[in-house]
Amino acid sequence: MIVARAWLRCFAVSAVLILGACGPATGEAPFPNRAIEIVSWATPGGPSDLLARALADAAPDHFEGQRVTVMTRQGGAGAAGMQYLKGRAGDPHVLGVFTASGTVNMATGRIPFAPGDFTPILRIQVDPFLVAVREDSPFRTLDDLIEAARARPGEVSMSGFGAASAHFLGFQRLRAAAGDPDIRWIAYEGSGDAVVAALGGHTDAVHTNYNIVREHLRAGTMRVLAVALPLTALSDTPTYLDGGYDLTPVHWRGVVGPPGLAPEVRADLRERLLATIRTAGFEEYMARAAMEYAVMEDSDAFGAWIAEEVDTSRALLGRLGLLMNE
Amino acid sequence: MTEFAQGLATALQPANLAALLGGSVLGVFAGAVPGLSSTVGLALVLPVTFALEPTPALLMMISIYMAAEYGGSITAIAIGVPGSSPALATTFDGYAMTRRGEAGRAFGISLFASMSGGIVGTLLLVAALGPLSRAAIAFGPPEYFALGVFGLAIVANLVGTDPLKGIVSALLGLLAFIVGLDVLTGAPRLTLGTTVLMDGLGLVPMLIGFFAIAEALNGVSGHRENVLGTEGIRGALPAFRDLFRLWRPILRGSAIGGIIGAIPGAGATIASIVAWNEERRVSRTPERFGTGEPAGIAAPEAANNACVGAAMIPLLALGIPGSASAAVLLGGLTVQGVAPGPLLMTEQASLVYALYAGFIVAVVFMLGVGRLGIPLWVRVVSLRPRILMPLVVGISLIGAFVLRGNLADAWFALFFGLVGFLMLRRGYPLAPAVLGLILGPMVETNYRRALALSSGSHTVFLESPISLVLIGLAVISFAAPALRSRLRLGRGGA
Repeated sequence: MIVARAWLRCFAVSAVLILGACGPATGEAPFPNRAIEIVSWATPGGPSDLLARALADAAPDHFEGQRVTVMTRQGGAGAAGMQYLKGRAGDPHVLGVFTASGTVNMATGRIPFAPGDFTPILRIQVDPFLVAVREDSPFRTLDDLIEAARARPGEVSMSGFGAASAHFLGFQRLRAAAGDPDIRWIAYEGSGDAVVAALGGHTDAVHTNYNIVREHLRAGTMRVLAVALPLTALSDTPTYLDGGYDLTPVHWRGVVGPPGLAPEVRADLRERLLATIRTAGFEEYMARAAMEYAVMEDSDAFGAWIAEEVDTSRALLGRLGLLMNE
Repeated sequence: MTEFAQGLATALQPANLAALLGGSVLGVFAGAVPGLSSTVGLALVLPVTFALEPTPALLMMISIYMAAEYGGSITAIAIGVPGSSPALATTFDGYAMTRRGEAGRAFGISLFASMSGGIVGTLLLVAALGPLSRAAIAFGPPEYFALGVFGLAIVANLVGTDPLKGIVSALLGLLAFIVGLDVLTGAPRLTLGTTVLMDGLGLVPMLIGFFAIAEALNGVSGHRENVLGTEGIRGALPAFRDLFRLWRPILRGSAIGGIIGAIPGAGATIASIVAWNEERRVSRTPERFGTGEPAGIAAPEAANNACVGAAMIPLLALGIPGSASAAVLLGGLTVQGVAPGPLLMTEQASLVYALYAGFIVAVVFMLGVGRLGIPLWVRVVSLRPRILMPLVVGISLIGAFVLRGNLADAWFALFFGLVGFLMLRRGYPLAPAVLGLILGPMVETNYRRALALSSGSHTVFLESPISLVLIGLAVISFAAPALRSRLRLGRGGA
């Protein structure tokens, strides 16, 4: 009888897992009472996916030894994964890696989600944008590039990842601060492709992140004109602020939970994740992936940051005439 | 040379050998199961590699990549379903040979050609890392556009007797590629206001739908030609003479794979189709292609395996992944603290040489696993279609789901299955639609990118020598069948 009931429960749990409908009744055992899932809707092997996997690798020690697995849910510009996470309301066993791309997709109206659909937990890292050129480029400073664009409107090109993407909006913020010089944005399918375009001399510069060009900077095959935020690895490189542009567009990544997590559950998750990201293994990942810690421990502040990012992006998209639903 | 010997010694250490062997078995499996591919295989073992040292982790990943490119041909030959997209061209002659009862011979040719292509690709990687990586970045928007046009020109005379039906099929593929977010503006196109269609219909659902589901429907409705009986299969392997006679197609295929594979974003599917088409173009008996011509297996299979070594060229020299599989590999390398790029060769020479040697060992293991597997594949072919095809459809649908963890992909596969079935019934070839889906984005986005960079001037496509040559080849390819039949008519009249 007990065996049968155990089987039945097993069946019920897997049915629930498959359907992704809702978590099992809480309150039966203290959290965590089963495996933790981290939903990843990013490209396999890409920076967000790697963050999810590094978390999964380091987390078990801080989740009472429970297994932590990465669950791939791609599709619909992240909508498939977000839908899954949103559907697990109140279940702290499911987490998601949330990034600047998510806020931009919310802002464009591409995906039917809002910041309130998830429970913010903490921000982990920032990945500042930068402008890089091939070593033999005539541009020595960011001003050189902007001056050239003013002198020859439309003839200076900038490659970067995506259209109406976080990378695109980061560039548009810089362009707006510089008085809207006519620099042509050439969108590519990936950040690597955008770097190739600049390396091959097809575009004049690339707007990307440090980790993508790190090796080319070390080898001297590329130069950084300016970086959005001071980076320890690029201490000699001028920042946007040094160039007179008071803005810090960054790519960032953090962890959110499903909606409806009780404050004490959220605080518990936050403590466990804070311990996770300070393990030796996770710190090693951060260094290897060329990421900077920019931990926002206050979950409410992180939530406000997400909402603010969506608003900023929406305002900018509106100015550029790129909003979809209005 | 001493570095290479040291690299080989590293690759032959027990832990590394085990990683290479495990990778080969997994790779053949990932390649052969429709829906899974080298990319999925790599993504699935990514968490496992975290626990390994850098060298075995890297070797495991490259052996999966190598073996999966071969594995795709097993399903292609056995049942006419490409196990992964680079094996599409192998279905043309591979499956035709199986239907003739020569499955064993076809498997042998594919394995030998894959091995040879894998070795040539590795040699290219070792010998020409610097120059080829510089050549690869010379490919800008006009050149990619021209390469795409060249690929599309092949479509007209791909398979079947009616070029018009081939073109209609390609247009359907082009229509399917439009669905999704526009890369250049981010605007949704033909998504019907849903998020489900935002990332497009996808290549894998199309392959599964067209080749597994449509064929199965064809079988159920009694339209599948040539139902195989157990007695019709010969498992006999090809004689060595038979294989060595194919050295020319293998070499040409390897060269094509080696060059196209080194260009970021072009990929093994395009390389193998181009190799198949070029082989037919230079053949004295082009009419035999598509009916079970051994060279029609050898060339594309050599090409897709040559792409593996070649895809490592932009990855190792520039830190730029040239294919989806290489992107997963880059993720694995990053986690291991290995940063590919211009300094890799000087800073981590021993690892790079271990990798070179690892490629050769991976090819040997692929040969071993493949050879041991052939009797098994032959037995699979011998299963009754009534049993086999539903099994294939079931496995494929699971494969389609695993790829992105998205149930929508299984629905897309069913949709393509229905479309493919209707097309088959009316005599429309399916492969051109697949090419349309692959090449459409390459042609469209690079056309628009090139014009954005040239301020709208079309002369950019003729100013670059590479693009000029490719467009010339496209014109020849497109006009060739018409010219050939013209010539024949002329001779007939004389």
